[in-house]
Amino acid sequence: MSNMNPAAEPSTSRETSPGGGKARRTLYILIAAAILFIVIAIAARNAIGPFPEAWNIHLDDAIDEAQSWVIGNRNTHPVFRYFFDPISDFIDSLLRGVEGALIAAPWPAVILAIFFIAFKLSGRKVAYLATVGLLLMGVFDLWDESMQTIALMAVSVVIALAFGIPIGILSARSDRLQAILRPFLDAMQTLPAFVYLIPVVLLFGIARVPSVVATVIYALPPAIRLTDMGIRQVPADITEAADAYGSTEWQKLIKVQLPLAMPAILVGVNQTIMMALGIVVIAALIGAPGLGLVVYEALRRQHVGQALQAGIAIVLIAIVFDRISVGFSRESEASLRNLKPLTGEEMAVRRRNNVIYWVGAAVTLGLVWVAHRTLVDMSDFPAMLQFSIAKPVDASVRWMRDNLYQIGDLPIGTGPFSDFITIWLLNPLRGLLTDWLPWPVVIAGFALLAYLTSGWKLALFTAASLFFLGLMGLWEMSMDTLSQVLVAVFISVLIGIPLGVLAARSDRFEALLRPVLDFLQTIPTFVYLVPVIMLFNVGRVPGIMASVLYAIPPVIRLTNLGIRRVETEIIEAAEAFGSTPRQMLFKVQLPLAMPSIMMGVNQTMMMVLAMVVIAGLVGGGALGLEAVTGLAKSQVGRGMQAGLAIVILAIILDRITQGWAKQQRVG
Amino acid sequence: MEQPKPAEKVVCRGLWKVFGPQPNRTIDLLKEGQTKAEVLAETGHVVAVRDVSFSVMEGETFVVMGLSGSGKSTLLRCLPRLIDPTRGQVLIDGQDIAHLDAKALREVRRHKMSMVFQHFGLFPHRKLIDNVAYGLEVQGVGKKERHARAREVLELVNLGGWENHYPGQLSGGMQQRVGLARALAVDPEILLFDEPFSALDPLIRREMQDELISLQNQMHKTLIFITHDFAEAIKLGDRIAIMKGGSLVQVGTPEEVVMNPADEYVREFTQDAPRGKVLTARAIMQPAAPGFTGQGEPAPVTTPLEQLLALVIDREEAVPVVDEQGELVGVIHRRDVLAALQSNGQR
Repeated sequence: MSNMNPAAEPSTSRETSPGGGKARRTLYILIAAAILFIVIAIAARNAIGPFPEAWNIHLDDAIDEAQSWVIGNRNTHPVFRYFFDPISDFIDSLLRGVEGALIAAPWPAVILAIFFIAFKLSGRKVAYLATVGLLLMGVFDLWDESMQTIALMAVSVVIALAFGIPIGILSARSDRLQAILRPFLDAMQTLPAFVYLIPVVLLFGIARVPSVVATVIYALPPAIRLTDMGIRQVPADITEAADAYGSTEWQKLIKVQLPLAMPAILVGVNQTIMMALGIVVIAALIGAPGLGLVVYEALRRQHVGQALQAGIAIVLIAIVFDRISVGFSRESEASLRNLKPLTGEEMAVRRRNNVIYWVGAAVTLGLVWVAHRTLVDMSDFPAMLQFSIAKPVDASVRWMRDNLYQIGDLPIGTGPFSDFITIWLLNPLRGLLTDWLPWPVVIAGFALLAYLTSGWKLALFTAASLFFLGLMGLWEMSMDTLSQVLVAVFISVLIGIPLGVLAARSDRFEALLRPVLDFLQTIPTFVYLVPVIMLFNVGRVPGIMASVLYAIPPVIRLTNLGIRRVETEIIEAAEAFGSTPRQMLFKVQLPLAMPSIMMGVNQTMMMVLAMVVIAGLVGGGALGLEAVTGLAKSQVGRGMQAGLAIVILAIILDRITQGWAKQQRVG
Repeated sequence: MEQPKPAEKVVCRGLWKVFGPQPNRTIDLLKEGQTKAEVLAETGHVVAVRDVSFSVMEGETFVVMGLSGSGKSTLLRCLPRLIDPTRGQVLIDGQDIAHLDAKALREVRRHKMSMVFQHFGLFPHRKLIDNVAYGLEVQGVGKKERHARAREVLELVNLGGWENHYPGQLSGGMQQRVGLARALAVDPEILLFDEPFSALDPLIRREMQDELISLQNQMHKTLIFITHDFAEAIKLGDRIAIMKGGSLVQVGTPEEVVMNPADEYVREFTQDAPRGKVLTARAIMQPAAPGFTGQGEPAPVTTPLEQLLALVIDREEAVPVVDEQGELVGVIHRRDVLAALQSNGQR
């Protein structure tokens, strides 16, 4: 048997030589490029120096000028008087109405109303959860702030849906419109929520209205996409039948397409709500009131306990609204799938029960309101029920900082861990990108990477836009942010892929992991900063830890999915040839799962970028801090420049990893 | 005695359908003699229907038979303009539907013709009764009236009592009954069938075919039926059209097609045709010798071969064949029957 191996080997290698040759060529190119880099880098390190300051195009000044023009002409110029101002006034009055109503209403009435809605749409459990969650907001003395956040989110979601669903319908009806919209929607979903805030400040000023505008724009893509998808997924023979029986376009839409697209549209509603919540919280940076502002202020003042309370309230809102809308969309899907034959009488009974339920709900709310007006004033949550966890939390944070920073004399604890990441990963990488490698080499390196993954077009784009970063005077800052992103992605992948593999091999582990991942994906970015601050104090490392937590779900999910989707027959074939589990994993499952894993890495990278920017707030510095400072000090030019740099990084990283993922698919 | 000539209900004249950005140029290329494959390779255009002409008489069952990719479904969809033909005319009751505006076209779809789909095309979110009543609903017929009519039609297809069920709860055969009921509910003059039974099990398929035949015997509508199954075509069709590569190869009664296949392609299909059922006395009878009087029971010209076989099996003499008026038109010998059963269409 053993002397068959030498004979077999050459033949296999000859068989695979075309593919192997290609891989080897790529490898040679890479090695050659690396050597070239090092040679050039060493030769040029001193000769080139930092990105020349003289080349700065001072984009920020131009933007600031534009802003002062806006401020100067806001009350007179027709574009504002007849376009932006009416929009602004409409949103403002709508928002104030909803917010005012929610805050002025007796708190038990708000809780009951949400209970009734949750109960009907998503069942008992969600209704109880909503009740407990809302009570807790009152208990933490965050009732008004919570209502503000809910109002901001609700108004934004309603406006986003009012635009998104009709646009989605139009896009489903026209391939051309869909083709026009697609690149915009793709780009919109690539950008971190954060950067939406910057341009709207220029046109709408700060506080409520621009927050709503930014939220609407940010939350629009899922509503459009899923409406479009839902309608296009209606089987052709069904729409054809509607045509063949002489339906008008409107009849076809209302009677056939929309009912069948409803589950998808409701998934879109759920995603819209979650995205809106994410940005509504961040909108605190431009002065939007609500829970986000509490977190922001508390973090700035290092009141971790207060930040934690508000963070918990945000998470509760996220979970409650997620569950309610998910329940609604599941219900709609299930009702399409298991339609029950009901006679006319049964339908009538059902309808009557519904009427009784809603009338009962309305009467209950009415009674609460009457009691509020006549018996006891319930506009504020009673102070005697309030309870703050801020002090004990602050105390335990202090304890943790004192005791977990370094445990005894051992090199264990958050301090050494943090130092390790800073000294061994962050600093070398940042040094490499900023000091050690001259900037033309970095640009050339990324351009080469872009060329290898997607071709010369992306290479050109990459080179030009990285150069542009330098022209804006943001070279060092961008490289700092980039180094943080890369380290966070590295750690996410390092942890995420093994977890994904484990999940793929054990149903039990997968079942354990799923709710955790669901939970992680429900929480708005901002909230992640709170727990890491508790453990790591401020700096770059807590930002990275928050990014890892926030961004790790996709890589775990898609690794798991990729492995599980490998066809049974292929697995059986590998088993039939006697592969060990390890061989199976490395020779069959992982290679076949690679496209999926790369997609996960891509998504993780985008989420890391979104988070690293926000982490600028807790000491991550770099572009995030620059953008926030610009916003906070109303130096729009500065903020917008930083935002643009973030967008450029996002697009480059997205395209390169997507190109890479695509290559995996072809190979 | 001259019978009144039945009216031409549906007429197709020189119908073309080419998919691609420049369909008309492509037709010209094809007329200059390029082949379909050349056109596809050079211009990327797909020629689905190629210069098709036929007419369907009122009350007739016209079957278009072809393999997948022969363009038969596209042809069918050109009739109610679910697909717009590239060139040529479609006349419904003499009216060219190519020039109808959207509204007039909707009227034709609502009242003149309705369609039964291969995968049923039922609306999964509507009860059976609302599926069946759909055509009436979009016409604006009131709920009470359209539900009464839908109930009536559901009875007709043996689905009485299932009104409140949803399509997903039914077997394929039952779903297609709903499809048929939906088509009948609007009381159309023309029914279009797009391979309606091909997704069904063989047994159910035969049952549905029989049911369609017995329904058609009561209603005498004009049926245009698409199938890829030759046996189904000759079982249902008054006339059948064989389609290949977008063109009609042969149009004729099942008997004509089986007896005289136009080419090898058609002959291939007729190989497995149940000749005993398709061929009749008319096709195989010989002229009677002058003065032949004949003995025993005469056979009508429409007697199928399998029944003639029983007649001749223990009879040495010729069997006289008579037409509808009882006039002697020919004779049949045992050897004629056996030869017809044995031959592969060659005589």
